[in-house]
Parts: sequence; structure tokens; C-alpha cells
Amino acid sequence: MSMFFQDTSTARRRRLTMAGLALPSILMMALVNGYPVVVAAVQSVHDGGLLKLGDFVGVENYIRVFQDPLFWKSLRFTVLFAMCGVFGSWVVGFALALFLRTRFPGSAIFRVLLLLPWIVPIVVTAMGWNWLVATRNSIMPQLAEALGFGPVMFLADPTMAVITVCVFKIWISYPFMMMMAAGALETVDQSAIEAARVDGAGPWNLLVHMILPMTARSTYISWILMTMFSVNDFPTIFLLTGGGPVNATSSLVVMAYRTVFQDFQPGYGIAITFVITTALAVLSLCLFNLIRKSSVS
Amino acid sequence: MSVNPAVSRKARQRATMGLIRLLAACVITAVLLTPILAVFWLSLRPRLYSDIVGPTLDNFRYIFVNTNVLTWTVNSLSVALFATVASLLVAAPAGYVLSRAKGRIVSIYAMSIFVIQSFPVVVFVIPLFVMFAAVHLVDTLAGVAIIYVATSVSVACWMMSAYFDTIPKELEEAAWIDGCSVLSAFVRIVLRNSLPGILSTAIYSFLLAWNDYLIALVFLRSDSNFTLPIGLQTFFQQNQTDWGPVMACAVIMLLPPVLVFAFLNRFFSIGGVGGALAGK
Repeated sequence: MSMFFQDTSTARRRRLTMAGLALPSILMMALVNGYPVVVAAVQSVHDGGLLKLGDFVGVENYIRVFQDPLFWKSLRFTVLFAMCGVFGSWVVGFALALFLRTRFPGSAIFRVLLLLPWIVPIVVTAMGWNWLVATRNSIMPQLAEALGFGPVMFLADPTMAVITVCVFKIWISYPFMMMMAAGALETVDQSAIEAARVDGAGPWNLLVHMILPMTARSTYISWILMTMFSVNDFPTIFLLTGGGPVNATSSLVVMAYRTVFQDFQPGYGIAITFVITTALAVLSLCLFNLIRKSSVS
Repeated sequence: MSVNPAVSRKARQRATMGLIRLLAACVITAVLLTPILAVFWLSLRPRLYSDIVGPTLDNFRYIFVNTNVLTWTVNSLSVALFATVASLLVAAPAGYVLSRAKGRIVSIYAMSIFVIQSFPVVVFVIPLFVMFAAVHLVDTLAGVAIIYVATSVSVACWMMSAYFDTIPKELEEAAWIDGCSVLSAFVRIVLRNSLPGILSTAIYSFLLAWNDYLIALVFLRSDSNFTLPIGLQTFFQQNQTDWGPVMACAVIMLLPPVLVFAFLNRFFSIGGVGGALAGK
């Protein structure tokens, strides 16, 4: 059948139709993603303001990036934040997905309720968190003091701010992981699980040796996507701490934003984003190919 | 008439286990949702120095009289609905190409869409600001709507592609033999069978646009042009200790996505995206 259609006007028309169907997305990506990247690249080798290009400075902005102590501090926090975001949310999300797979009254309702941190706008949830932790009279500081931890300043102390932002990230992100895990668990071969259980395998062994391997591909994809989401995340940090105190929670994206729109140095800010983007694009391409290979095997 | 004791004991154990799980679910949910419950509670609590006792809708009355919350809501709805429809119009055909077409060019196309996801939005925001300033799209709803479409299209393409993969090609091939063109077969056969995939993608695009903060922060400057995230955050920064009205605003912002999801969650699935990524 396929031979019959090869090299005919019908096949050419089909290819043209396919190209036509892809065209809107290509144009959109070219205009709103591609062209801005080119403009950004040009800006990153100049020292101008937001609306004027300024003088050509070559790779000076890039050299400056790697010499800036704040860059390395931000990089360190970004890695920490992404690691906590990815693995913390996966542990919570996967555990909840397993829990919700058991039957109990109203389990379907809880499945929706537990997605709320992801559905409710982050501007709203950041305010809820702000109210819980922001001042000495807030609930969490009061609770910490009652438990004998002394006065804890969740947003004003650098270490506590890092912890608070990471916990907030896990809380924001676990629903995504829960949904990915739930989807993967649907495909797990239940008869194999039952056979293992009959053979005497305990819950932990079932989890480690059967359920986790069977859902591994989906898990890796979740980790990759969440890594990208976490590295690129801006509101989770900005809305809670603004990158403070004393840049303790300044991720690279927050640093880039502040450099451009608060310090009005777009060339330098864009150089920072290009460093992030290059690393992340290389990472995602490598992982993309790894996934594709693993699916073939 | 006598009941087997072992059977009834097992049934009782199952019922007990179910109740224990229900209780555990209630506790877990209550703890995890505390920040959201706080928003609702504060929105109904009387303001400081008020002589009202008990729950009240006074905070909602206050914000409708003293802020532009109605304008912000209309702005957000307009932008989010436009972005949803437009991103579907772009992503559905593109997803079809990803799902059905073969060849090196298609692989490059697929990889391009994938890589775009990894760029921080802030990369595009900076030069887009310059571009949009030149064509007077800064501080306009049209400007942010265009960006929302672009930012949602890459994931939306993958979602549509994942769903189209579940529809047998034989259906279209039969239509082609009957004389349908590729385009009409796509519309009549594939799209008609893809309501869940379309709704899933629509929900994703809507949530992305409705919830966005960064793009609105950079591009929207006037109070009358604010969408809810920026209006709410600005209002919060001006009223940091007056939680009642702030949280009333927050409730107005959180209701649409929660309602959309409550009614349409059966259609929403992101698991397929993982499958699509693995398959390309």
C-alpha cells in the first residue's frame, strides 16, 4: 500500500499539507522564540540599556559572569533548589500516588484535592505561605517557638529562607510528580505484582524490585522535566523572598531578572541567561537522546 | 443462615483498613492544603478594627469598591481564553505532524520544540520587551497574550501529539481511500476523536496563562491593564498587614482554575506527555 502512494502527486500534496500544518507553530517559535534569541545574543555583546544597544564589548559580559561572586552563589543555590525540587517532589508525589491507588471512601475526591497546590495560582499560594511564615507572629514561627526551637525567622534568616523556598518548591511541584506517577502506575502489570506477593514478597521489596523498575522511564522523564521547570522557575522564589535575604535565595533566573529590570544592565543579564540556557539545552538534548534510545531497547 | 466467621472478619478488616486510609488521607490533605485553607479563612475574617464578629463578606465588598479587581479579572479572562484557543489552533496541527510525519526534518522540528522548553522565559522576555516597545505592545493585553501562546505551544504540541498517537492511523487511511484530503481527514477523523486530548491541552494552556506572573510583571505597567496576578501582588505589597482584602482578591483569582479543574479533571492527563517524549 505504501509503495503505491510513493512519488505521486498525492504523496507530494500530503507532504505539503503536513508542512502547512506545522507552519503556524514554526512561525510562532521563530518570531517569539527564535528572533528574540538572536536579538538577545546581540545585546549580550553590548553594554547598553533596555532600549538602546550601547557600545560593542565583545565577550566582556560573559567574562564578567564567571568572575562575579554572585553568579557562583546563585549557581550553587540554583543547583540546590533544583535538586530539592526534583527529588523532594518526586518522593512526595510518588508516595501519594501509591497511597491513592488503594481503595477507600472518597479516594477520587482526594486525588483532585491533592492537586490543588499546582492548580491554584502561585501568586495566591505564595500569599498563603507568606501569611504562615512571614512575621514573628505568624503560625509557623509561633509553632517553632512552642516546640522549643527559639525564634525562627523563616524568611529573614538566610539559611531558613533557603529551606523555606525549597519546601515551598516541593509543595508546588509534588502534584505534577503525583500525576506522572499515577499515569505510570496505571501501566504496571498487576498480575506480576500479585504473583510476587503470593511468592511472599513484602511491600518494600515489591516497591524496590518491581514497581520502581516498571515505572523507571516515566520517572526519568519526570525528573528531566522538573529539572527544567526548577532551573527556570522564577515566581516560586521571587514571590516568597525576592531572592533575599542578602541574595541567599537568588537563583540564576532571579539574578538575571534583577540585573536587567532592577539594575538596568540587559547585556550582562542576558549573558547570564545564555549561560543557563546553553547548559540546560545541552543537558536536555543529551537526555532527550537517552530517552529515545531507552525506549527503543 | 449462619455467616462464615472468617469471611465476616476479613470484611471487617477491609472496612477498618478503608477507614484508616480515609483518616490518613484527611490528615495529609488538611496539612498539605493549609496554605490554601488559610487564604479562604482570612478572606472571610473581619478586618482589624472592624466591629463585625464572625465570618463576613465585607472583604469582598471592600475590594470591589476600592480596587480594580473587576478590571483585572476581565483582563485575565480575556487573555487566558484567547491564549487557550490560539495555542490549540497552533498546537493541534503541529501535534498531528509530530505524531504522523516521519523523516529527518520532522526529527529536527521535534527536537527544536523540545529544546525551546528548556529556555528560561527570562531569555525571551528581555529582547521581547525591546521588540514590543518598538511596536507599542508593552503594557497591552495583546502583548502578553502573544507570549502566553508561544510559551504554551511547545508543551501543548507534545500533549496533542501524545493523544494523536492513541488514535489508529487506519481510520485516516480509510478516509484517504474514500477521497478525503489529509487536512479534511485530520479535521473530521482525528480531531473529532480527540476531545479528551483537546480539553487536556486547553486546561494546560489556560492554567499557564491565568497563573503567569513573570511575563505580566515585565510587560504590564498600568493598573487598568493589570491581570490578576500582578494586580493581586501589587495590592498585597501596598497592604501587607491587611490580610482580609488581599485574600479576598486571592480567592477571586483562584476560583476559575479550581472550578475548571474540578469539572474537567477527568480529561486532564500529563502522563501521556512522558510517553510522547519517550517515543520521539
